[in-house]
Amino acid sequence: MSNSLVFCSFDAGRDGLPAGAEEVLTLARKLATARGVDLDWLVIGAQPSGVEAAAAKHGVAHIDHIDDPKLAELEPDVVVAAVQQYCGQQSPALLLISQTFDSRLVAPRIAARVGAGVVMNAIDVASGDGEVKVTATAYGGDTRVEYDVAGPVVIGVVSDPLLPEAAASPSAPEARSIAVDLAGVDERIRTVQKASSDGPRLEEAQIVVAGGRGLQDAENYQLVEDLAAALGGMAGASRPIVDDGWTDSSHQVGLTGKITRPVLYVAAGISGASQHMVGCAAAKTLVAINTDGDAAIFKYAQYGIVGDCLEVLPALTKAVKGG
Amino acid sequence: MRIIICVKEVLDPDAVDNYVLHGKLEIGDDGKTLTQTSIPRLMNAYDEQAIEAALRLRDNGLDCTIDVVCIGADPTAILRQAAAMGADEVSTVPVADGSLDGHAVAKILAAYVGAKGGADLVLCGRQASDDDQGVVPALLGELLDMPVVTIARSVELDGGSVRVTRVTPNGDEIVEATCPAIVTISNELGTPRYPTTMRTMKARKINPNQVTIDSLSLADSDVVPLVRMSKQYVSSVQGNCTFIDGDSPDAQAATLLSKLRDERII
Repeated sequence: MSNSLVFCSFDAGRDGLPAGAEEVLTLARKLATARGVDLDWLVIGAQPSGVEAAAAKHGVAHIDHIDDPKLAELEPDVVVAAVQQYCGQQSPALLLISQTFDSRLVAPRIAARVGAGVVMNAIDVASGDGEVKVTATAYGGDTRVEYDVAGPVVIGVVSDPLLPEAAASPSAPEARSIAVDLAGVDERIRTVQKASSDGPRLEEAQIVVAGGRGLQDAENYQLVEDLAAALGGMAGASRPIVDDGWTDSSHQVGLTGKITRPVLYVAAGISGASQHMVGCAAAKTLVAINTDGDAAIFKYAQYGIVGDCLEVLPALTKAVKGG
Repeated sequence: MRIIICVKEVLDPDAVDNYVLHGKLEIGDDGKTLTQTSIPRLMNAYDEQAIEAALRLRDNGLDCTIDVVCIGADPTAILRQAAAMGADEVSTVPVADGSLDGHAVAKILAAYVGAKGGADLVLCGRQASDDDQGVVPALLGELLDMPVVTIARSVELDGGSVRVTRVTPNGDEIVEATCPAIVTISNELGTPRYPTTMRTMKARKINPNQVTIDSLSLADSDVVPLVRMSKQYVSSVQGNCTFIDGDSPDAQAATLLSKLRDERII
């Protein structure tokens, strides 16, 4: 086993960098420095344009690149096989992966292939006595759990609560092309109908107005949509009202829904259950509207209105339009 | 065909949430175990939805055996619930404590599936609501060499293939895989059925099959965890909320907007 610490990315991202790359690299840099080992970046598939600059900024020693015509769509079976072969060649001690919808499946599969421990939902990683100590969320964010892992480990890092920070000294990363053989790997899952990714995404919205059970009735979800439209933002929802069918799951914010990080998040009639807060805790400003002044949501909020969201939402919409 | 559903017993996450919100969650002397006996033990809700997914396949005319398995100290109550919902067979693999990690659980489940002569479809909840890890289905897929399709809203069988509608961040996607396959079920599947009183009464007399680790030909080293929990604590939240007062919702709205505009948030 070598000692290297590897950040592995296999998505193109939307801004020239893989999702969460800078945040996870910041965490990885800190850990590599503490362990006195190289930080390498394994890029699977076509290399996004911003990789070299970000690698230098975060003190990456090597940019290891695996490309192959079979990796064009970055489907899971070929990605897992490519990373498995890389691990066979390089034997990294730690593999850090930014947690996304796709990596949530790929990360544990890689761990199974290489016999490594696996921890998802990680928010911090530290070195222990010959072990790695991983802090992850549990119970929908209600608790934090520390796990000790001896031996190699694959870690899925939730990048949203992390802040990117440049390394103390930038590096001049060396590019290495890694050869793998994917000839015998065939994708076992066939896509019949792709998800339509058209339209704006809640995850990238600058303003989100979200509603919960405090709306009392499905038809009142319109009040949330009205304020969202007036503010030029998007409408979100808590899981209970999505489960009840008041709106569809594309609006669901939280642990099992969308993770948002807007400038402004308005939570109307939402109590503040941890599993919801996972999806909006990174908001720059959180405004809470709830009839119960003791509701947990006010612990997270910068501004609170104790009142009925059925009255406050229309008043806000009117004021936004009038102003 | 055989459908095997893997279920887990968890502490009621809503009760845990409630204790946390009121600052009253208790953690034992070991620094990691939630000790309050007043927190109910339930079947993981996503696993209940996995059972529902299998029952819907049968409702649509599939000739199948629905086999529910749970690894745990004493999951008799949730396995009786599974039987009341409509499972044909319920089994438990007793283990002493909760120290198993995902790898160990997946190894036991893989051995169980093997002992049953395989399965055409394995259904799991997308994740357990206690540790939220969601790694077992992926690890199991590797051990059994089955494709794993995650986060299903609906599951249909078409000949030897399973067709799954997945809930992705970009909307619904439809994929197919050849059976045998593993599918993880999400809450979008909808509410699981509530067993009738008669079925619940009948299920009370059912004792789950006891399957020992030894009988699955697993070595002790197979179930040594690679990942061990050392500590659990409640994450603290700093309250720093400015409450907006006013005589009316209109007045409160005006005050709030002027603050947000002053800070250039809107």
